Amino acid sequence: MEALITFVLNFIYSSATLALIVLGLAMVFGLLGVMNMAHGEFVMLGAYSAYVVQSLGLNFIWAIPISILVCVIVGWLMEWTIIRHLYNRPFDTLLATWGVAILIRKGIEAIFSRDYKSVDQVMPGTIDILGITYPSYRLILIAIIILLFVTLFAWYQKSKTGLRIRAMVQNPGLASAVGIDTSRLSTVTFIIGVSFAGLAGVLLAPLVRVEPYIGLDYLLSSFFILIVGGLGTLEGLLIGSAVIGGSDALISTIFDKTAGYLSVLLLSILFLWLRPDGIYSRR
Amino acid sequence: MKRRDFIKSSLTAVAATAAFQTVAGKAMAGSVLKVGVMIPLSGPAGLFGPASKNVSQMAAEDINAAGGILGRQIEIIFGDAGLPPAEAAQTALRLWRGEGCEAFIGMHDSAVRGALINVFKEQVPYVYCPNYEGGECANGVYYVGETPAQSVVPTMTWLANEKNCKKFYLIGNDYNWPRDTNAIAKNTIADIGGEVVGEEYMPFTVDNFDSSLAKIKDSGADMVLITLVGGASVSFNRAFASFGLADNVMRLGTLIDENTLMGIGAENSKNVFSAASYFANIETADAKAFAESYSAKFGSKAALLNGLSTSCYDGLTALDAIAERAGGLSVKEMDSVAEGTAFGSPRGDAVMKNRHLTLDIYLAEAKGTDFKIVKTFSKQEPGNFCKA
Repeated sequence: MEALITFVLNFIYSSATLALIVLGLAMVFGLLGVMNMAHGEFVMLGAYSAYVVQSLGLNFIWAIPISILVCVIVGWLMEWTIIRHLYNRPFDTLLATWGVAILIRKGIEAIFSRDYKSVDQVMPGTIDILGITYPSYRLILIAIIILLFVTLFAWYQKSKTGLRIRAMVQNPGLASAVGIDTSRLSTVTFIIGVSFAGLAGVLLAPLVRVEPYIGLDYLLSSFFILIVGGLGTLEGLLIGSAVIGGSDALISTIFDKTAGYLSVLLLSILFLWLRPDGIYSRR
Repeated sequence: MKRRDFIKSSLTAVAATAAFQTVAGKAMAGSVLKVGVMIPLSGPAGLFGPASKNVSQMAAEDINAAGGILGRQIEIIFGDAGLPPAEAAQTALRLWRGEGCEAFIGMHDSAVRGALINVFKEQVPYVYCPNYEGGECANGVYYVGETPAQSVVPTMTWLANEKNCKKFYLIGNDYNWPRDTNAIAKNTIADIGGEVVGEEYMPFTVDNFDSSLAKIKDSGADMVLITLVGGASVSFNRAFASFGLADNVMRLGTLIDENTLMGIGAENSKNVFSAASYFANIETADAKAFAESYSAKFGSKAALLNGLSTSCYDGLTALDAIAERAGGLSVKEMDSVAEGTAFGSPRGDAVMKNRHLTLDIYLAEAKGTDFKIVKTFSKQEPGNFCKA
């Protein structure tokens, strides 16, 4: 029974964090058609923001506005100088953003060196819940992520900006004809997307390792989720995260980690082959 | 130009070049001795590149100040060993045949070592620096790092006794170093009457260890032997502590260096033990002098010293000691005198035995993000891998 509860909590935790990581990438790809290869680097920037805030002795909460500020600046620069010239050229954006990813990684390496950094947990220790001992910070994180997704979903469905974005995605020409500034809206969407990545970095920093190359890991797992979940819907993203996180957790628990990782790869291949649009397709 | 003339003149040119090279080759005796130093400058192990580079340069300056090797000043040429083995081997070949390196030092993984041994084919001396799984015996290769027989056996025995550990869980990345280390550890566990309650090998891509941690908890292990590498070790140890396992379960590793411990963080480092032939804060006169001159030379912000980077110093020192004893750099001469070569280094006095070193092993306990030496196991023998 204890093992089952631990498993369920681990499953919820890994699905929630995966969904948080992939959120920004899914927004940018699903809405703008830009495959942002530097997505993981924005997660990394968020984690380093948390590290800087802590080494300055500030309250951890400051990491959130600082990381968003950093991501807005870098994201805006990136959109303004590179991305906006490459909309509707998916392969070119892929190469260009990969270049930016290298630049960001090397920039961080030049400033902070390649050494591992450690970010302390906001709430260290464990809580006894449902008869098992579980890290407190993880539970808080799960709650924050659920709250975030509910808010975002409501905003996208109800707000005017959400409506404009949906209009732009469905028919860019018509949207601009009725007076929607699609160019500005694209910039905003891109910046919001990378800022979510930065936020994910801050929230995860106390639990993971922090070094200049962590972005690559996050990019890879994000791909798997997008392949399984499909593009352009929050539902697909959540299902993709649950399928990828869940199959890895389940197979790893029953067999071992190698089998777990293998199951993720096999699932991705099967989806690319049989359902290239994912479980939840817009089309 | 007629074809015959062309061939003739080409031949003359080739002959002239060859003659020139022979002359140049003879002139090189007494001139600068180029030593190829293969260290990771890129890739995952690139983390250790900067410190390894600094330490190698320091060793070269110290050797040169003392008159060089065989009376020749040495010059270091760095090659990137952070590449895939085949590419690293190409780099080494270029340094050897192209740049004229007459000896090699290597601080890299075992896969690259295998590739380099195939390139060198016992024709050029090669000192392999880091700790490794043991078992090698190629001619012309000298190992200055400790093997599991030296680092795991004494420290695990002592720690298990001290902390009263009976149940052991072995976790590592999936390649030969963790598997070979654990094969030796399992014998030790049997010898001390312990029980192996779990053994797991992780692919390098894994950074979520939740399922393993659940298994460790479930198994009731009281000591975990960690042979995870670098980032994987950091992620594992952080998650391990966050689940509240750190209070009652000992963690022992033979590749938890100063950098890894920084990544694990003070919050998660309770009951982490590390066994190695060098730690940056060993309290011996040699080690202290070494650390002081390192920070005097490269500043207090310089890349952290650890067992891996410092092993480059031992590598160059060993090359010097063996070459001087042999009176030359040929593999045959060096192999014949290597046994019993003794030299001092930052980590203590070492004596070569079976082309490996008999050396002191330190067991350190993490205190925050620093190591504190809790026990020294002096003069640990490397074992004999050269059974013909």
